[in-house]
Amino acid sequence: MAKKNKQAYKQAPWRRQIQSIGLSLLPVVSIAVLISLYLIISAQAAAAGLEIMNLHFEEEDVLRDIANLRTELAWATSYTEMHKRAEKLGYEPPEESKVHFMTIPGYQGQNPALIAPPPGGDAKSIHFINEAYNQSLSTWVFQTFFMDRQHTSGGIQ
Amino acid sequence: MKKDTSGRLTLIGISLSLASILIILQMVRIQNSTKHQELSEWADEEYSYAVENYYPERGNIYDRWGRLLAGNEDVFEVGVMLEYVANPETIAQTLQGINDLDYQEILQAASKEYDSKRSVYAVLTDFLPSGVIDALSQIKQDYELANPYGKRDSLPSLRGVVWYPHLKRSYPENSLASNILGFFSFMDRENGIGYYGVEEYYDDLLAGNPMDTFMPRNPYLIQELPDVPAGASLVLTIDREIQAMVERKLDEAVEEHEAASGTVVILDPRNGEILAMASQPRVNINQYWKFEDEFKDKTPFNRAISETYEPGSVFKILTMAAAFDNETVDEKTIFNDPGRFEYGGSTIYNWNRRGWGKQTMQGCMQHSLNVCLAWVATEMGKEDFYAYMQDFGIGRRTNIDLGGEEIWPLSTPGDSDWYPIQLATNSFGQGVAVTPIQMAAAVSAVANDGRIMKPHVLKAIIQDGRQYNTSPQVLSVPLKAETARLMTDMLVKSLKEESSLALVPGFDIAGKTGTAEIPVDGVYGIELTNTSFVGWGPTEDPQFLVYVWIEQPDSSPWGSVVAAPVFSEITAELVRYLDLPDKSDFETMIAMDN
Repeated sequence: MAKKNKQAYKQAPWRRQIQSIGLSLLPVVSIAVLISLYLIISAQAAAAGLEIMNLHFEEEDVLRDIANLRTELAWATSYTEMHKRAEKLGYEPPEESKVHFMTIPGYQGQNPALIAPPPGGDAKSIHFINEAYNQSLSTWVFQTFFMDRQHTSGGIQ
Repeated sequence: MKKDTSGRLTLIGISLSLASILIILQMVRIQNSTKHQELSEWADEEYSYAVENYYPERGNIYDRWGRLLAGNEDVFEVGVMLEYVANPETIAQTLQGINDLDYQEILQAASKEYDSKRSVYAVLTDFLPSGVIDALSQIKQDYELANPYGKRDSLPSLRGVVWYPHLKRSYPENSLASNILGFFSFMDRENGIGYYGVEEYYDDLLAGNPMDTFMPRNPYLIQELPDVPAGASLVLTIDREIQAMVERKLDEAVEEHEAASGTVVILDPRNGEILAMASQPRVNINQYWKFEDEFKDKTPFNRAISETYEPGSVFKILTMAAAFDNETVDEKTIFNDPGRFEYGGSTIYNWNRRGWGKQTMQGCMQHSLNVCLAWVATEMGKEDFYAYMQDFGIGRRTNIDLGGEEIWPLSTPGDSDWYPIQLATNSFGQGVAVTPIQMAAAVSAVANDGRIMKPHVLKAIIQDGRQYNTSPQVLSVPLKAETARLMTDMLVKSLKEESSLALVPGFDIAGKTGTAEIPVDGVYGIELTNTSFVGWGPTEDPQFLVYVWIEQPDSSPWGSVVAAPVFSEITAELVRYLDLPDKSDFETMIAMDN
């Protein structure tokens, strides 16, 4: 025969009130927390977005400056300017009879311009976005705690 | 008491719930109303994006050693934001005279009434250098300090004046290599294009992809920021130092011989790379709008590729090479030159109208005998002769990578404008027209073991941060290698035996002079000539071919007197730029190595 046990006491009324108020406020507070989190993240995303946009415009300015400086340098080292400077420094074109050639071991001669690296080569892809933004929570936990320990223990060995 | 509290709480709960439901219902209603959609679209249009005309940086142009020949420099557009203009008179007074701006013109622009839809901004001038903008900025600041916000009408103010930077094409070498580079019409910021030369031929590559882009203003849309890559940069085969030397020598020669004009082409016969290409006139391409002052009456921008002319005796190299290759003649063939040759109802004479008696083929070339070459061509036969000329590229474009290449079609048997006499006259370069680049490319077959490499000025393209080098291409193979070497040896001996003014001490050079009479009213005469010389060397391993054309010299009508010395002077300097030791230095180096 099963015997049903009953509580020998009742909760105080104020506690029951608190519990019911707490239960009804719980979703409200949860929603408020979620909204706050959303607002914080949105604000951070907007700030980051604005910063990226500013950097984008800054990049344009920097690229323009580079182009301008490169051209200024070319003006300063143009054929006419270099000729004038050479004359000012006392240089003059050599006479044919005074030009002599000799073998310099290992000298391969002047190489044609290599303004940029050739295709292929050892180019590595550059990650602009921090890895942390692309990985799942479980991957992060695994890498942060498990992988680090492995590396540490490996280091000790 | 307990019942009252519970009832109140229930009432408050129901009220709050109802209020929440009402708020949610209102939100749903607003979200789905047509007015919301209209407002949303309007907001998107007005505030989410801004349409911007984006012009990527035009690609740079370098010489073969990486020296900048065409780049971009920072300049500024100056305008007024009409909403903020406080004192139009100050703006007009400050800016008048800059870029030839007129006081009234500025005043009128700056006094326009602001209209948020129609009249917001007015451009005053453009292409101002940064120095002027620095000065303007300082003045504006000073005025602003003395008269904040321009509130006092009695004090000057430059409020409303704004400036925007942008890039402008710039040519640091001014007129140097201008015939090769062409120019970009940078004054037309929206529709500027490349004209002539490299700027025209590679316009699409250099320009990149100008586009109207939607620039997001919404910071959440950063992934939609347009990525507009700059135009590709080009590395040319041109050597700035050689180009400058050639232009200097050419200008001196044209002045000395009081010639109408001149052209020099230097190429590497082994790969078709153009090392230098100079012609007259030239202009400072930073002021390209003035070019029509120099290039009057359809004067070509680059004679080397755009002007056809009868080449004269330099053409004999092609005829003789074809005859040797075709085995019509050989080194032992003797021609008894009577001084005249009847063919096709006409008579061919030598340049001095005299007979030269028995001559070997070398003698024919050495003395440049028209009669001999006409005989050689007729012996070869018209089919073979013209087949060889077509293989040499006569009448066809070389397809050099420069804008504006012209040709004169080669009349061949069967054409309505071909007559039998042309076989004889064409053999010594009369009745046939070529451009200097065509002629240089054709003769390069003799210098390069029978192969013509496609002449080109592009050495590499730099795109997306990578340099892609170009590969030489064979244009045609008109001769056997043995024939080419035989011809080279023959022309070396010819120059030496005639003690040509084209000789370069210390080097074996092969070459041939050309004197082409220019017909006046259909009659050829020695009074007006085109003088030329084509030569290459060092003959044991040819590394350069130089073609010189001096047009209508006054000092002498002969190529051997006018063009040959120019060739010699240019080549004597060229070998130093190319680090080519002369024979004695070479022997010393070999001895030291041993």
